[in-house]
Order: sequence, then C-alpha cells, then structure tokens
Amino acid sequence: MSVVSAFLVPGSPLPIVKRDNPPWGALAVAMEVAGERLRASNPDTVLVYSTQWFAVLDELWQTRAHSVGTHVDENWHEFGDLPFDIRADQEMAEACIAAAIEAGVKSKAVDYDHFPIDTGTIVAKHFLVGDADIPLVICANNLYHDGETTETIARVAVEQGDKLGRRIAVVGVGGMSGSFFRHEIDIADDHVAVPAEDAWNRKILDLIAAADVAGLRAAWPDFAREAKPDMGFKQMAFLLGALGGGYVSAQVLGYGPLYGTGGAVVHITP
Amino acid sequence: MAQGQIVAGYLAPHPPHLVYGENPPQNEPKSRGGWEQLRWAYERARATLDELKPDVLLVHSPHWITQQGHHFLGVKELSGKSVDPIFPNLFRYSFNLDVDVELAEACCEQARELGLTTKMMRNPNFRVDYGTITTLHMMRPQWDIPVVGISANNSPYYLKLDEGLEEMDRLGKATAEAIRKTGRRAVLLASNTLCHWHFHEEPEIPEDMSMEHPQDYNGYLWDMKVIELLRQGKTNEVFELLPDFIQEAFAEIKSGAFTWMFSAMGYPNIPAELHGYGTVIGTGNAVMEWNLIKAGLAQAA
Repeated sequence: MSVVSAFLVPGSPLPIVKRDNPPWGALAVAMEVAGERLRASNPDTVLVYSTQWFAVLDELWQTRAHSVGTHVDENWHEFGDLPFDIRADQEMAEACIAAAIEAGVKSKAVDYDHFPIDTGTIVAKHFLVGDADIPLVICANNLYHDGETTETIARVAVEQGDKLGRRIAVVGVGGMSGSFFRHEIDIADDHVAVPAEDAWNRKILDLIAAADVAGLRAAWPDFAREAKPDMGFKQMAFLLGALGGGYVSAQVLGYGPLYGTGGAVVHITP
Repeated sequence: MAQGQIVAGYLAPHPPHLVYGENPPQNEPKSRGGWEQLRWAYERARATLDELKPDVLLVHSPHWITQQGHHFLGVKELSGKSVDPIFPNLFRYSFNLDVDVELAEACCEQARELGLTTKMMRNPNFRVDYGTITTLHMMRPQWDIPVVGISANNSPYYLKLDEGLEEMDRLGKATAEAIRKTGRRAVLLASNTLCHWHFHEEPEIPEDMSMEHPQDYNGYLWDMKVIELLRQGKTNEVFELLPDFIQEAFAEIKSGAFTWMFSAMGYPNIPAELHGYGTVIGTGNAVMEWNLIKAGLAQAA
C-alpha cells in the first residue's frame, strides 16, 4: 500500500493566529511534531480531506496547479491573516476524479483563481507540510456523503496513488467534540466546554491509539450523538478508508480545547 | 439629525445562478441566460428600490457563518474577487463595496446592549461572502449605495430553533434602533431562499431551464402557502407556521435573515408585493417587498 503516514488534526486557525495563548500553543507544538513526522515519512503527495471544505453538489477536487493567497477566517478575522501557498498533484487529482466517478461518486475538478480554500486545509498545510515542496490532493466534504461514501472516496484516491507509484501521506482535518463557547471567554482558561464531551474525546482517542478499529466503529454512533463531533467525525472515516480499514499503531501527539470544542493531533502508522 | 427609519424590506435570495444568468461585466463565467423569471423579478425590485432612495442597504447573509456572536462588516471599503465555493463554475465576481461603518458600529453596539455577543469585522483582507454579494448585485448592480453586512450567527442550528430565532429577533430590534439613532433611511435585505431542498447533481448545462423544477413537491406547496399568506399581509400567521415550514421545507430562513428583517420592521401585517418566484437547482426563491411608505409606516423622501 502506498500510504506512508496518516494524521488526524484540527482545522481551527487558533493554533496559528493565536499560538501565544497556552492552550492553543500546545496544539501548535503538537501539529509541528506531526509535520516533522509527515515530512520524515517522505511522501510524494499529501492527500487532504477537510471538513471545512463544503460541497453540496458532486464531490470536488482541487486541481489548480498553484494556489497562492491570503485567507481570513470568517469567525476569527480579528487575529489576522492566513497566507497560503499550495501546489496540487494534478495528475493524481485528475485520476481520483475519474476513478471516483467510476465508483459512483460524481466528481468535478476545481481549478479557479481566487478559489476560497478553506481554513482547515490551510492550517493543515501550514503545520504539516510547511515549506516542503510536496504537492497536495485536496478533496471536499460533501455534506450529503455519509461515512461509508467518505471511506470509499479515500480508498479510491489511495488506489490511484498506488497506480501512479506515489508515496502518500493522508491527513484528515476536523475537530473532535463540537460544543463551543458562544460568548467571549478568557482564552487562557479555554477548556472543553462540556465535561461529558471531554470524556468522550478521551475515550475515542484511547481507541484510536490502541488501533482498536472495531471498538472505534462500535462507539462511533454514540460519540456522534453525544459529543457532536465535527461533521460526525467524517475526517476519521476518510482516514480509515485511506488506510484500508486498519493500521498498525497510532500516537496522540496533542489534545486540547479550541474555544470549547475538542481538538486532537494524532499520528497514525499504517 | 433627523430620526432614521426603515422604508422597506425585501426578501432577496442569493443563488449565484442569477448573476451568472445575467452576465454582468463583474462576473467571469458567461452564460446563455437562464432563471429569467427570477431575474425579471429582481428587475422589478430594482425599480422599486430606486424609488425609495435609501441611504443604506443592510443585508443579513447565511453564507457568512459565525459561531462567536453576530458580526458586522467594519471596513470602509472592501474589494476583491469572490468565488463561490459551491458553484465556482458560475460565480467569480469582482466586487468593490462601500460600508456604512458608523451604522454598522451602532448596530453592533445596540445588539450588545440587548445581550447579544457581537463583533466588528475590521480585517481589510476579509473576503465578503457570495450570499451578500449576490443579493446586493441583484438588488443594486450600480453598487452606489453604502451597505451594512451582517453575519448569520449559527444559533438557530446550534441552539433550539426558537432560541436561535429569538436572537435574530433581538438583532432586528437592535438594527431598528441603530437606524433610528443614526438618522439613516434604510432598506433591509433578507438574503434567504424559501424551500431549500435541492438537486444533488448539477445539470450538464447549468442554465438549461428544461432541467429546472422544484426538487420537492411538499416544499413547493409550503412555499406557495407562505407566499400567499405574506401577500395577504398575514405576517403573524406566517410566524406561527415558521417552525413547521422550516422543518418540512428545509427552509433557509432558519438561518435568521427573515426573522431579523421582520423584527426590525415591527412584524407589520401588511401585504407583500411578490415580484416573482422561481426555482434554482430545485430550491424555492421568492423576491418580495414590504414597502413601509406605501403602508403608511414610514415617510417618503
């Protein structure tokens, strides 16, 4: 299999734009460790699925050769800009589009100047790829796709990487528990807003760290209902699809609050 | 300073397809038309807006989603190219808009006084969402009237529906008070679709109107019921039905603009002028006007 490393990371911009805040700085450090490990796995291509790139018609794939610009998060605009410089693995993305259509998932290429690349993708690229010259294949989170379809998309993408001889790092971008503070808080005291959700996050991370995929799948429906994870935790479904449904080991590099939600940085070894 | 007033409110939905169908110079993709009934509806709305001679247009858009509070555009001039993340093939629009920062700040402050979390958006690199831009273009393509852009706090989705819409009600009251205090002659734009059930695949030729139809019959029936009640001026009845309408028709008015606008206008039970109705990728869209001058609730210029 062509997957050489896999990572689960949060898509919040807070660890970048406000890393001097200790709870968010700790996640930034964990993301940097993940970045070192990703680059050490020597991938040819990074396959990224971010819950924050919404699609409602078809599955979308980024094929623009070079996307450069400055993004401002729609919620955290006061903390500054998110510059980005992203190169696409066009050959693999085009192959993914064709194969996804073949697999019954209508797919389209996105190749437009000024296309609004989502915050989560930019955050992941910043920490995990950094300035390394590694191209990305980025695909959208179609809001109507369930976990099974999401796994299929990831599996199909990795198959195309195999055919093209790519070494692939896979990144699932999205949050853990979803409850957040709606009011202004003392950010230095940020914490997971609901203790029961904090407990759920820790339980799920324990299962992931133990490579207990059967246990994870069994707990998933209750986790989704009771902890309201970002998009039902579809980013993890994407990772499992890319990993062929299982993996050797995983290490939680960081876990903490992001304005009340839960964020985790996990390195998965295929 | 004369006391400000709201002179009208419009239901002004934002499918980018309407801009695409019109082929304005600001939009890169070019079409062979399409969605004419809705675009003609907007032509009529443009004409009545012109007669109102407002100082400012306030727009509440469901595509600027915020979690921590209700946000207001707070940079005097914002420009750039807005590419729709869902329909980048249809909407790549170069915009340049003037913001009425004084009124935006007043709205922000009034809403905070009413207990809402609020925030001014001061980042000059901010990308204005396509919902705001589409609604403003369709209502006033000259871009010669200052605007106030208001985010859609996700409270109707995050909290219980009634709790979320209660926040939008307060936001509307705050908006009205800010308009009154700042002496503005204001028009409100609720950037919302009605029934929001939509296609899941885009037609090969997006503007092929032989493919366009309501996605859901029950949703269509709901749209007709709500529009008819609004045409009869039965606002109170519509708001009683709102939770069922939102639930059954997946109505985008859940995001709050409709409630915000009616709250600011004082929920007048006056007949709406329906400029037109049509579907876009199956969703139901009505362009409607509540003219408070004609109703004797505001003064002519």
